[in-house]
Amino acid sequence: MSLVAFNTQELAPVDAQRYLQILERSLRSARLNNSFPDRRRLSGTVNALQRAFEHEIYDQLYLDSRVGLPNMASFTRVVTDQEMAADSLSRMSDRAELERRRDEAPVFARMADKHDYYSWLADQELAPVDLHRVLLRRHDPSSGSASFRIELTKLDGSGLYMHLTIELTQVASAWRRKVVDLDQDGESAAANEAFRTLIYRCAALDAESLFIRLHGIEGVTVERVARGVIGPLLFRLPTASGFATTLEPEGHLGRLWQHWLAGDGASASGPEVLATFASDVAAGDIREEKSNDPLGPLLSSVIEDKERRRYEAMRERYPFKVFKDRKFVATRGLKGLVKVLGDAAGTRNLVYDLRLPRGG
Amino acid sequence: MSADGKIGLDILSRQVAYSGEGISVKSLEAEIHQERTVQDNKVGELKELRERNVEIAGAMTEELKKLRKFSDYLDGTATKDGFWAGFKEIMSFIPGLRSLSISQRSIEELLKQQYQVSARRVKEAAEYVDHLKQSEQDLYKEIDRINVKIVEMAKNEQVALDYVLELRELETELKAQEQALTAGSVEARDIQAQIDKVFARLSEHSSNVQLYGSAEERYVSLKANTRKLLETIRNLGQDIQQYTTAASIKLDMASAQIQAIGRAADASVVMLEMKRSLDVMTESMNVTTQFVSDTQVFFRSNLDTLMEELDTFDETTTKVLDENLAKSREIEEQRIQAAIDKAMRKSEGGGAAAPEATPGA
Repeated sequence: MSLVAFNTQELAPVDAQRYLQILERSLRSARLNNSFPDRRRLSGTVNALQRAFEHEIYDQLYLDSRVGLPNMASFTRVVTDQEMAADSLSRMSDRAELERRRDEAPVFARMADKHDYYSWLADQELAPVDLHRVLLRRHDPSSGSASFRIELTKLDGSGLYMHLTIELTQVASAWRRKVVDLDQDGESAAANEAFRTLIYRCAALDAESLFIRLHGIEGVTVERVARGVIGPLLFRLPTASGFATTLEPEGHLGRLWQHWLAGDGASASGPEVLATFASDVAAGDIREEKSNDPLGPLLSSVIEDKERRRYEAMRERYPFKVFKDRKFVATRGLKGLVKVLGDAAGTRNLVYDLRLPRGG
Repeated sequence: MSADGKIGLDILSRQVAYSGEGISVKSLEAEIHQERTVQDNKVGELKELRERNVEIAGAMTEELKKLRKFSDYLDGTATKDGFWAGFKEIMSFIPGLRSLSISQRSIEELLKQQYQVSARRVKEAAEYVDHLKQSEQDLYKEIDRINVKIVEMAKNEQVALDYVLELRELETELKAQEQALTAGSVEARDIQAQIDKVFARLSEHSSNVQLYGSAEERYVSLKANTRKLLETIRNLGQDIQQYTTAASIKLDMASAQIQAIGRAADASVVMLEMKRSLDVMTESMNVTTQFVSDTQVFFRSNLDTLMEELDTFDETTTKVLDENLAKSREIEEQRIQAAIDKAMRKSEGGGAAAPEATPGA
């Protein structure tokens, strides 16, 4: 395993299959709610990649070396495979015919495998690289107000896979430009391009910053901003030539990981994995402002003194509170690292046990 | 003649063992037609490929236009008023973005969408490879089948030739014996009857010599065309594999860079880096477009020629078979005419008919 391009590392097929199995188990173990990207669809992509390797469709898996998750090339591969599946199948010989000729030449074995892969892939639900949705929650024509839920799932430039939910109410008026447009029958809605872009660009901001940013828009009342972020996933997998690991983890967690790798991790015999799942909500109905995320302190606790007064004035104008949390999925050997992290930050985090099948 | 001086008439009653089913002009035509159908199907696949190629080429040309335009503007070379003035125009080239301004669109999202389009185009082109390799294998099998036929036809021709020579020898012996007998005697009539039988067998098997010889030649030509078709398909498959592998490696390697640049561009427009990112996609698309364009030329120069040659083959085959058929008819007609002549002479004279005219003699 090595770095092959900017922020990109690759895993050979055997290691890729073990990695994907671990990723799938980590996702299941994390018990993700709907503030996170759709777990089923992400599992769909992981399973599709697994199938692709089983059928020898690809020679390597590309991961983001900072966060240990499949990168855009890997997400895109299965999505484009699915887009082309029906057309490709229609051009292929009958599956039984390909099987009959399997030993005749390598191409028939390859096409039989591809046939199986495409047939299976055709109706799978896969994780999108990006997905915007606008849902109408309430519409009151008499007051001209409408409430919406805006959802964005995004494979972020940071390499993390995130889901953003924004609930807001918009009061329309003739002179004010609306951020969300309702169709004539008042049943479906679409964010205008500028608003959509604003959300897309700001998706990497925490919920608090995003709440403040959106609440400042004329005619818009933000009720809730929630983010669910999958990753990083740090791993150390024994391989035929030694071990494979997340090569460029960043920040505080990255430093701790490198320290662990050089210490306890160096003697680990089996696979070791630490996956994190952060959630971050800014809403009016939160009772106590708190961060239970050892890697994500509240803005109020890290803001510079010179900005503090302006920040406090802004917070007084907008009645909301923030709650941040992070849960972990870890193999036994890494639970200690989570404890060190939590103790230092004063947080108590859920740590789900990751049990891997023998040899996995 | 046998060792005891008797003429070996058993030759006449011998069953000549040709391998395969019996041959006739019609059956030969049917068999060659069957083999040609395989070629036609493969040529049909190539034609379909050419059509798909044209579709992909069209789509890719459009995509490339967008990328190049975008890239040129970022370079600051395509507009006198600089980057910002031209940006609105650039955006109008991206689907669904007509009349939008830069502030209303995320560069990160735009680049990701373009990345996906590029990835799809490269994959569409790469999908040809396995189909072509399968066709290549089918044609190898076809050549094997044709080879079996060629050997079979060559053997049968040899069997027919050997038999014809034996018959000719028998005929010579019979004629020599006839000379020694009194004309019109029972023995002479008997010898004449044997000579006629020999002639009938000669006629039948010399026709087989002609048919099997002609079939062998036709199958050899058919094999040459099949080989040509196979080589066309193999070269095309290898080229596509080479091009699309290069293009998809470029895209795989650039995905993180493209995403990072898009993200940076959204935060503050980092034009130079963004241009590099676009250039990678353009390069990848370029490689694939180059392939598509080369393939078009390849199709033009190979497929059409091949089809012409196959048509010529058809024309020649039909001509040869028609000639054979015409000759057979002619012989048959002579034979029928001879029978009619004899019947007429018999009814006019009321007595023994004179010896009938020997067809083909």
